[in-house]
Amino acid sequence: MSALAALFARELRLSWAGGGGAAGPAAFNLAALTLAPLAIGPSAETLAAAAPGVIAFALLLSALQSAERMFGEDTADGTLELYALAGPGLALAALVKMAAFALASLWPAPLIAFFAGLAYGLSAEASFALAAGLALAAPGLVMIAGFAGALSAGLKRAGLLIALIAAPLQVPILIFASGAGRAAAEGTGLAGANLMMTAAASLLALVLAPMGAAAALKGRLE
Amino acid sequence: MRGGDTGCAHDAFGYPTLVGYVRPMTAAAPVSQPLIKASGLALSRGGRTLARGLSLAAGPGGALVLTGPNGSGKTTLLRALAGLARPEAGQITPDDRGEAIAFLGHAEGLKPSETVIATLQFWAKLHRAAPGSVEAALRAFAIAHLTERSCGHLSAGQRRRVALARVALSGRAVWLLDEPAAPLDSRGRALLAAAVARHRAGGGVVIAATHEALDWPDAEVISLASALESAA
Repeated sequence: MSALAALFARELRLSWAGGGGAAGPAAFNLAALTLAPLAIGPSAETLAAAAPGVIAFALLLSALQSAERMFGEDTADGTLELYALAGPGLALAALVKMAAFALASLWPAPLIAFFAGLAYGLSAEASFALAAGLALAAPGLVMIAGFAGALSAGLKRAGLLIALIAAPLQVPILIFASGAGRAAAEGTGLAGANLMMTAAASLLALVLAPMGAAAALKGRLE
Repeated sequence: MRGGDTGCAHDAFGYPTLVGYVRPMTAAAPVSQPLIKASGLALSRGGRTLARGLSLAAGPGGALVLTGPNGSGKTTLLRALAGLARPEAGQITPDDRGEAIAFLGHAEGLKPSETVIATLQFWAKLHRAAPGSVEAALRAFAIAHLTERSCGHLSAGQRRRVALARVALSGRAVWLLDEPAAPLDSRGRALLAAAVARHRAGGGVVIAATHEALDWPDAEVISLASALESAA
């Protein structure tokens, strides 16, 4: 346990300081949220209706944006070999690494989602449901992005491969997280159910993605 | 894992002796039993066979030096011994040796933004090293003055010393070192030889791939060039 705690602390420190932390994904997220209304048009009604989808999609893109870095550097600088021999095993190391990365890079995401929801014309209640949905979605989105990053680690044009692999797997999380915001906005009473489904999809990714990432990284080592 | 090594013994130079680190592992196995053993190995890289019929064994206190020209498979053999690569054929025992191995590859696994002291403290925690082992490793490779420097600002030789310090503080019994001395100056090589001697005296095993004469007393030399010829 203490070995995993040490690993978590190191990865958190590294992605906070060395990787620029949350600044990159947050800037990407905010830029998408600022530009989307310009493309959608000035109708307040349309904007409010599109808000949950646009805001969830902006988070998905910002989670993908830094996926290449997650395992690419470790593959190149020899850290991966050391983690493979470290004791806890690659799957646990990948889980801890991705969890630290999710926390360091996406902690502002629920806050951004809440205020973006208000700015797009959603009620405070709907904005909160959407923010909660995205808080549950963020770990799952990062896990899937990390799995894709592990599969493409060390390859040229890894970014393209990551988008192709991760995007289809992230679909359920995207649907349920934005669905929570939409259900709250429309008052259908299904916001809670959508949140539960988001959590379920995220947990599934939390279990499967580290194992997939470990298998991919092991193949990369051999 | 190593519960009883908090009261760490020190030798005449103030370094912790490695007896405390490795005792649990050597005590579990009879002295004659090798800590790592390979038999009938066939290695390949990129579909090309590098060596065939390779066998080696190293027991407590043993040292093997792998020599051979570029491309003869020294690195591939070390990676196979570490369990990072799968040999084409043959057996490496014990199967669960991952926990006993400290590996140093071509890439040192250092993060440019991390300071030397943060790096070593992380690995000490990960390996549950005895208190004081970071300081001992810093002294052993004469890098105590670099602690606050970030790894991105080190020279090649300094990086290698930090990586060797990481190996030394791991407390693991089997050191697998790929070209450990290549970027080191003469003082660094002397420090490496001393650290290797201490590790062997404590019952550890060192297997190193190298081009240069390492001047390690009674180390067994295995030439991969001849293995290559017999494979061809």
